[in-house]
Amino acid sequence: MSEKNELLFEMKNIEKIFAHVHALDHVNFDVRKGEVHALLGENGAGKSTLIKILTGVYSKDGGQIFMNGEEIEINSREDASEAGIAVIFQELSLVPTLTVYQNILLGKEISKFGIVSDKAEKAQIQELIDRYGFPLKTTDVVETLSVAQKQMVEILKALATDSRLIIMDEPTASLSSRESELLYKIINQLRDRGVSIIYISHRLEEVFNLSDRITILRDGKNVGVIEKEDIVPSEVVKMMIGKELSESTASRELSTSDAETALEVRNLTHIGYYNDVSFEVKKGEVLVLTGLVGSGRTEVVRSIYGADPYDSGEILLNGQVYKPTVKRSVANGFGLIPEDRRTQGFSPLLSVTKNVSLTSYDKIAKGGFVNAKDEDDLGEKAVHLTDLRPANPNVQVGDLSGGNQQKAVLGKWLTRDLKVILIDEPTVGIDIGAKDEIYNIIEELASQGVAVLMVSSDIAEVLRVAHRIIVMREGRIIKEFNHGVATQEDILLTSSGFVSEEEAA
Amino acid sequence: MTAMKKSNPVMKALTSSSRIIVLIALVLIFSLATKGVFFSYKNLVNILYSVSLIGIMVCGASFAVLLGGIDRTVSGNAALSGAIIAMTILNRGATGGNVALALILGLGGGALSGLIHGLILSRFNIPAFLLTLATNEILYGLVQMVTGNLLIYIKGCTLMDYIGQVRWLGIPIPVFIMLVCILFAYIVLNHTVYGRQVYAVGGNREASELSGIPTRRVILIAYIISGFMGALAGFVLSSMNQQASASQANGYENNVLAAIVVGGVSMRGGSGSIQNAILGVFLIGVIENGMNLMGVPSIYKDMVKGIIIIVAVAMDMANQPGTPLNNLKRRLKTKQA
Amino acid sequence: MKQMRQETVRRIISLVLLVVLTGFFIATTDTFLSWANITSMLREAAFVGIIAIGVTTCIITGGNNLSGGLTMGMCCMVFAHLYKYTGMSLIMLVLISLLAGLAAGAFNGFVVAILQVPDFVATLSTGMIFQGITYVLAIRNQYGSITSEMIKNQTVASWGGKLPNGIYYVTIAWIVMSLIMQFFLKKTKTGTYIYAMGANRKSAEYSGISYVKIKMIAFIIAGFCSFVGAMFILGRNGTCDVTTGAAYSLQAISAAVIGGAAFSGGRGDMIGTFIGVMFLQVLRNGVLKFNMTTAQQAVISGIIIVLMLVFDAYYNEFMQKRTTRAAAIAREKEGKGK
Repeated sequence: MSEKNELLFEMKNIEKIFAHVHALDHVNFDVRKGEVHALLGENGAGKSTLIKILTGVYSKDGGQIFMNGEEIEINSREDASEAGIAVIFQELSLVPTLTVYQNILLGKEISKFGIVSDKAEKAQIQELIDRYGFPLKTTDVVETLSVAQKQMVEILKALATDSRLIIMDEPTASLSSRESELLYKIINQLRDRGVSIIYISHRLEEVFNLSDRITILRDGKNVGVIEKEDIVPSEVVKMMIGKELSESTASRELSTSDAETALEVRNLTHIGYYNDVSFEVKKGEVLVLTGLVGSGRTEVVRSIYGADPYDSGEILLNGQVYKPTVKRSVANGFGLIPEDRRTQGFSPLLSVTKNVSLTSYDKIAKGGFVNAKDEDDLGEKAVHLTDLRPANPNVQVGDLSGGNQQKAVLGKWLTRDLKVILIDEPTVGIDIGAKDEIYNIIEELASQGVAVLMVSSDIAEVLRVAHRIIVMREGRIIKEFNHGVATQEDILLTSSGFVSEEEAA
Repeated sequence: MTAMKKSNPVMKALTSSSRIIVLIALVLIFSLATKGVFFSYKNLVNILYSVSLIGIMVCGASFAVLLGGIDRTVSGNAALSGAIIAMTILNRGATGGNVALALILGLGGGALSGLIHGLILSRFNIPAFLLTLATNEILYGLVQMVTGNLLIYIKGCTLMDYIGQVRWLGIPIPVFIMLVCILFAYIVLNHTVYGRQVYAVGGNREASELSGIPTRRVILIAYIISGFMGALAGFVLSSMNQQASASQANGYENNVLAAIVVGGVSMRGGSGSIQNAILGVFLIGVIENGMNLMGVPSIYKDMVKGIIIIVAVAMDMANQPGTPLNNLKRRLKTKQA
Repeated sequence: MKQMRQETVRRIISLVLLVVLTGFFIATTDTFLSWANITSMLREAAFVGIIAIGVTTCIITGGNNLSGGLTMGMCCMVFAHLYKYTGMSLIMLVLISLLAGLAAGAFNGFVVAILQVPDFVATLSTGMIFQGITYVLAIRNQYGSITSEMIKNQTVASWGGKLPNGIYYVTIAWIVMSLIMQFFLKKTKTGTYIYAMGANRKSAEYSGISYVKIKMIAFIIAGFCSFVGAMFILGRNGTCDVTTGAAYSLQAISAAVIGGAAFSGGRGDMIGTFIGVMFLQVLRNGVLKFNMTTAQQAVISGIIIVLMLVFDAYYNEFMQKRTTRAAAIAREKEGKGK
């Protein structure tokens, strides 16, 4: 037992400061030998910062790191892997055109005079595969493997370098349930062989089943370490959210509950992405789709906008069947604030004015020529409507802060005659002040009668702006909360898999 | 981020004016080195005349580059249109109607070639450099087939004689044609919806798509413009020479690329202006002319051009964070500080 | 079901094309299958083939090389120039030409890997520079205009020779170099790194492989191939003019692409490129028998390259769609997660 509790890895008083804000505030974190240790926390709690420090992507601003009781410095990825730390990446970092064994031994080939001994390499990797019983062949080319198999190759790559600590960041996010089961088995095997694992996942159920211990981070602080036998799901969720906040509930009521329905979705299905989704959004209402990343929310919104297809079901706009294309949606008063503003929202090299006017050439151009004055007015209007800072419509959007970039994207649509706006994770990576302003803009839009359909994972945000909340999981609607009845715990537990569909219904 | 510095209006003015400064410096150096011959009215007109073809082509190819692509077929299109026009006139006689037909066929041929490129490049994810490298070979092959690999002399065509020989205010007509093309490109890029869409699609295709911009059509039109401008340059070239040849304009695509790149139009798309591209045309024209006057053998000119392209692109890339040169720059700066 | 790899599909297509085309020419002409025609075809193919070895290596690293043929022309001219104007020994001439080829490769590597100029633009520009050097070194008559002069040397002429059975030395060199290079790419550490760098640069760099080093190696190999090609060209022609090799770059790239190399990197090998070179050569040789002009050949091979490019893009798009769809349906069947 004493052997079992022996510490492998320890971080003491880790500090990381970004722009005078403590991203990590004297965090202590340790991992025992042969332990699965889960790291929990909401987005922005400091999990990824901590991981980046222990893999050498960031350098710490204070504190100490110990491996087997010896203090170590991790300043680069090489340092980390030398210390026996390996990460299984979400975006896989394998070479697609090489075989399994070539990938596992990349950079560490068994060779004489530069000539690789395929036989020795294959034998070594075969032995490794056999030891864990993975369904892999050494000579398979990686690009022909499934996501789960690629993950196994990554795990083998970590094991081949004698890694003692493997970090898995949302490893099941793109796996099917059968593949996930296999991964759990592998994790248990690794643990039995004395490998330690730091496990990060939003799926609380799997976290509680797998881990020996969990550490909970909130606002850059370690707020609790819990042994497996002491885990009480609702308590854990409370710790993640913070008690003082947990009382707040959605209290906004639709002022005119008899408002007309602007947008309706009936049995919408896109095979493999979402299934049988139905809801309606009234004029002036803010409906939020929440749930974990990958639950199909973004896909629903993009289908409604016409950016992605759907297989069956129908969309109704003002009671009429609507077959969306992007062009038609823009013409019909839709707006889209896309999930990733950098790649989908704006042209970084263009000014605010020129970005804003992209959607409005029907208004500011005649015969193909842009009316410069109308265009400038439009830019001014967008700056004014969104309170953009600096209040200069000629600044390139790429140079603005995240919050103001998002305002510029909003400006593209606010200057138009909007009927429905689709907003996908509007405040990711945006500071608190700008967040508030964006919420105000959304509320203002709703009060003008615009139907708002929003996607968000930030529960505080959901409760702040929503009139109604729909929780999605694995492509289905699990539960709908009306105004004033949802708490943070309800939403978190429902979306992370603790309330089954039957219970919810 | 370095992008920030670049987009700052002050910095922008500076970088664009740094090219003007280089241009002025070159003019001064060459004027001194040639004891004023360089700066004579006659020689300045010469420079304008010598860059006019490249200038016309740049006005078209810039659209492709601003969209993150490239069009190396400007030369092939020039050869094709020259050949079509020459053959039409040769076979049917140089009457007004036939010349008009020849022009329609020649310039239309360029536009059609552009259309085909546009259709392929807007639909498929193929490197434009490679595609147009291959299609340019096809175009030259076609021209050789049309002309039978012979020089076709153009005789008795009043319009082409006029363009090739008449001067207004001592300035050859091709220069005016170039100016019209520059004006056209300037107006389209700066004052029309289409121009705005070119920058938007070049800067971020996905965001443009989600804003309802018909991105494929934008790309398609760009290559049509480029094809047309190439063909126009071919027509002007044939007018200047009173003939069309199967290797007409061969190699000009490198000059066009050099001018655009030297002018600071980013090969990654979305940034740069037609003014700067034209400035690049003049920079290269001045260098070539100056080297000629100073008696530098013409064989060095291609080498100089090659070096200029490398330096221009390397400078552009050195502004990208994470590249070896950028790291070096940063290290030097921190050392100074 | 396992997904067929792009290069496998491409290999099959190019092989089928090669067989069909060869069969067509055998059936329609009576001279095609003659030993003399075969050996001369293999000789012509070898020049492009030797350049294509280097070009393919560059393409596998995720780059390209448009300067292969012009580097060859330069090596050739360095040799001819020094032969004409100095009294150097043959060995010195060969060594200096070799040095020119390697230096050209290293310069390409410098421009691409250190100056970060995209491969296409970089090698286009360096090609202009190499061509300029060729012009500078060109042999001139007393009036100063460029001429070509025969190199009257038995040893040099013997490089253009053949075995008693009619197979030319250059063909043998091509095949031997292809085999060595295939071994190098598939069986050595550096070869593996070349593939890794092309297919996933980040992952390769994380594994401690240097981008600059790999790029340098690839371009220097290409420079070496250009040098070898240059020596055999001298042997065949006995002279060097300023346009020597200029046309080979594009043919070599085409051959590599037809053989399965992809500009996105990490794909392609010497066997594929060999098939690609042979395909182009059979096409060129066969159409000659139909009295086609060089122009018509250029058009046909150009169109084939364009079709290959379109096919590539379409195939990748199609496969990606199919894989996503298949994954989606699999998710749907199992019910994702729990």
